[in-house]
Amino acid sequence: MSFDGLAARALDTASKRGAAYADIRFEVNRSERIEARNGIVATLADSTSRGYGMRALVDGAWGFAASSDLSEAGVDRTAARAVDIARAGASIARRRLGEAPPKAYVDSFATPVLRDPGDVPLGERVALLFEAEKALHVAPQIRVGRAWMDLWSIDKFFFSTIGSKIQQTIRQSGSGMEAMAVGEGDVQTRSFPGDIGLYKAGGWEIVEQARLRENAQRIGEEALALLSAPQCPSGTFDIVLGGSQVSLQMHESCGHPAELDRVMGWEANFSGVSFLNVEQLGKLKYGSDLVTIVIDNTLPEGLATAGYDDEGTKSVVSDIIRNGVLTGYEMSNDTARAIGRTSNACVRAQSWEYVPMIRMCNLNLLPGDTPFENLFDDVKDGIYMESNRSWSIDDHRLNFQFGCEIGWEVKNGKRGRMLKNPTYAGVTPQFWNSCDAIGDKASWVAWGTPNCGKGEPMQSGRTAQCASPARFRNVRVGVGYGG
Amino acid sequence: MDSAQREALAKRVLALSDATQTEVCVFSGSNELTRFTHNAVHQNVADADVTVKVRAIAGRRTGVATTNVLDDASLSDVVHRAIKMANLAPEDPDQPQLPSGGETIAPEGSYVAQTAHATPQERAAMADAIFKAAEEQDFWCAGFISTSFAGVTIANSSGACASFDGTDAGVNVKMNGADSTGFAEGYDTDVTRLDAGAIGKTSARKARDSVKPRTVEPGPWTVILEPAAFGELFTYLGDHFSAQSFDEGSSFLSGGLDKTYLGENVTILDDYAHPLSPGMPFDYEGQPTQRLTIIENGVAKNVVTDSYWAKKLGRENTGHALPAPNAYGPQASHLVVAPGTKGLNELIAETERGLLVTRFWYIRTVDQKQAIVTGMTRDGTFLVENGEIVGGVRNMRFNQSIIEALKHCELSNAPHRTGGYAYSVVVPAAKITGFNFSSGTDF
Repeated sequence: MSFDGLAARALDTASKRGAAYADIRFEVNRSERIEARNGIVATLADSTSRGYGMRALVDGAWGFAASSDLSEAGVDRTAARAVDIARAGASIARRRLGEAPPKAYVDSFATPVLRDPGDVPLGERVALLFEAEKALHVAPQIRVGRAWMDLWSIDKFFFSTIGSKIQQTIRQSGSGMEAMAVGEGDVQTRSFPGDIGLYKAGGWEIVEQARLRENAQRIGEEALALLSAPQCPSGTFDIVLGGSQVSLQMHESCGHPAELDRVMGWEANFSGVSFLNVEQLGKLKYGSDLVTIVIDNTLPEGLATAGYDDEGTKSVVSDIIRNGVLTGYEMSNDTARAIGRTSNACVRAQSWEYVPMIRMCNLNLLPGDTPFENLFDDVKDGIYMESNRSWSIDDHRLNFQFGCEIGWEVKNGKRGRMLKNPTYAGVTPQFWNSCDAIGDKASWVAWGTPNCGKGEPMQSGRTAQCASPARFRNVRVGVGYGG
Repeated sequence: MDSAQREALAKRVLALSDATQTEVCVFSGSNELTRFTHNAVHQNVADADVTVKVRAIAGRRTGVATTNVLDDASLSDVVHRAIKMANLAPEDPDQPQLPSGGETIAPEGSYVAQTAHATPQERAAMADAIFKAAEEQDFWCAGFISTSFAGVTIANSSGACASFDGTDAGVNVKMNGADSTGFAEGYDTDVTRLDAGAIGKTSARKARDSVKPRTVEPGPWTVILEPAAFGELFTYLGDHFSAQSFDEGSSFLSGGLDKTYLGENVTILDDYAHPLSPGMPFDYEGQPTQRLTIIENGVAKNVVTDSYWAKKLGRENTGHALPAPNAYGPQASHLVVAPGTKGLNELIAETERGLLVTRFWYIRTVDQKQAIVTGMTRDGTFLVENGEIVGGVRNMRFNQSIIEALKHCELSNAPHRTGGYAYSVVVPAAKITGFNFSSGTDF
């Protein structure tokens, strides 16, 4: 499908109406979701959505308009509307915020896919989930079993008045499962992989990586066992976090505070600000020397991997934290320019109808050199926790509290009995500075988050936080239950 | 697209299906939002779309397909895809007959033309009034002005055909000072009833009154939660009122109806026709929605159902279905907490020592069955001593069972709508004793 003619018309209309710069992003998005729940298919659905979003810049103010009307008249109306909206914003502006991107690209990108999910018969896709969901039901106390998969296809066509023409074919896939056990006055859940499933860029091979069938019975048994497991104790303990929990910890306490729009107050009324400021670059000791986090939007299988972001900036690899020191931010063109840097291509929109904004994309906590089982070696009295159950952090991204689905005692370097309801809390820099071991490459996973909320109107972003399990010292545990 | 056009489109698509049962939903809408920070607009957006969703039921097998491409071939394709998936799906023995609908009347004030046709210039004027409120106090503000229109038509092969046009508008302001912040909001289906300047001034007053915040110790506190705070907390009980969670054991009501779970002064309704939040009078299966008492004086009276859960539990269909496909069960989408008898100022005046909370942030469930949640205070938390507000305090984290909170609360006499587009509830302010704070912050 070619959008060249409509794009040229829209950009021309915007320019004639006074836009100093304009871009237009056409998208054709297809999704399929299947969910097996308690022996039935609760969801078997596919969706197609086609439309375009257009940005126009007038007197330093942005306007954005989106429509699914692909007629020439529709494109004209939408372009005019974007300019009108920008002009309304400019009329009350106390300062200029926007400028045209500095560079144009003509290029294309496609996600590497080993097996197109469309080549797998629908019956086979459903059967996989049915088998896994059935195996979760190891006892009558498993009142709810769920197994699901999402298959996403995004085709983007980006054009701008400075000459960009970028076509991207992005494929993302994910699957997961959950068992809910109900006892006397108690509800316990276990999920796999991680707490929301395994989501990555790619095709059917990503669904196969999750190994749902192979793990379903164990997950059901763990949910059941949690009903009679002792309560996680309260106090100060060394903790080891499973990889998916480190991923979420990084998402909430590193990824979000390092979004430069938050640092600059652009998300102040909703998602919040950041405890970070620009003067801390190169100075703040964010974590221990072991902690290095990079933004890598070129990473194979990273859920946010793309050739270009939604401002038309080419994906790059850049640092956020290097050997524990804050070294960078996730940036857009406008925010980067404000601090004398250039964008590192961290701008995404949920889909065609949403305005592009800074999103986390792929964060990568570089693996350490400690094999997973050796993370427990030096722990005399600690807790190992897996799979997130609740997450909360303040609007400066400092004071956090997380709960996990399951924990195990660690005594003198050995994992012991199972514990229910583990929670832990801390303050971001102190917590990351207490990290004294990170799992090796063998335990590293490109964990994806398919549903990160940010912005107004709220957008659901697809991010990745690649991580290994890790060890943290002297952490407050049990606070969620009054400890 | 107006309701007549949507109904014509829905019936056209319905006629394309030869499935045992078919449901067609047509959604049309536009969302416009002017967002600002540092007293300047930084995101200024508008979108419009029309979507057609087809649920095909072949015997007891269901498939759903959606498209926003409305040419004949695409509409035929979306029906074909839904039927194809239905034919491949396993049978669900509990699959009910689609509801046949019934007469519904949209509550007065649910659609306001001035909101549907609001311009970016009108939103800019409202934002400018907020900027001026900020500049008067040497603050900077962040927030949004939103206006939206949503049209829904549901038609099915059982004869249901229902349409609704609704509008909504919102003003949301966070005012920022050197060491304090304040928050205020307003939501209404009629944008002309929102006084953006006054909302800006309220948020500025809160920021001004909370300068130089002090630290107070965590622990059990008496709190007075303003509606924005109480509403967000209360929202986390919403899933407990679903027939699905009730039956599966994850609701605090799973022990059975007609039992006392909350304080006798607590009555909870689901009311789509509440004058502060007039909404859609039918659900996403076209079934008329009942105005339902869920908790009456602390006693559980009802859970909400859809056609599936009504059949499964042998209960009446209360008309609370979400759009198909729906793995989450029916939901109470118009929750109301009935007001009490005292004014907010009276609740404050009767407090020897407590905290007045404007707003919470990032509430998440810690324990589903006990409804324990954690979250933070935000944008205006004040110390109350001897019935007077004596100044701002630094923010704190709480861990609190909502059920326990609603056993020990007094409710104010003034209902407010809070929540915006993320959720919408009508609640009064609430004074709660023994509210558990677990830690503090430096801001």
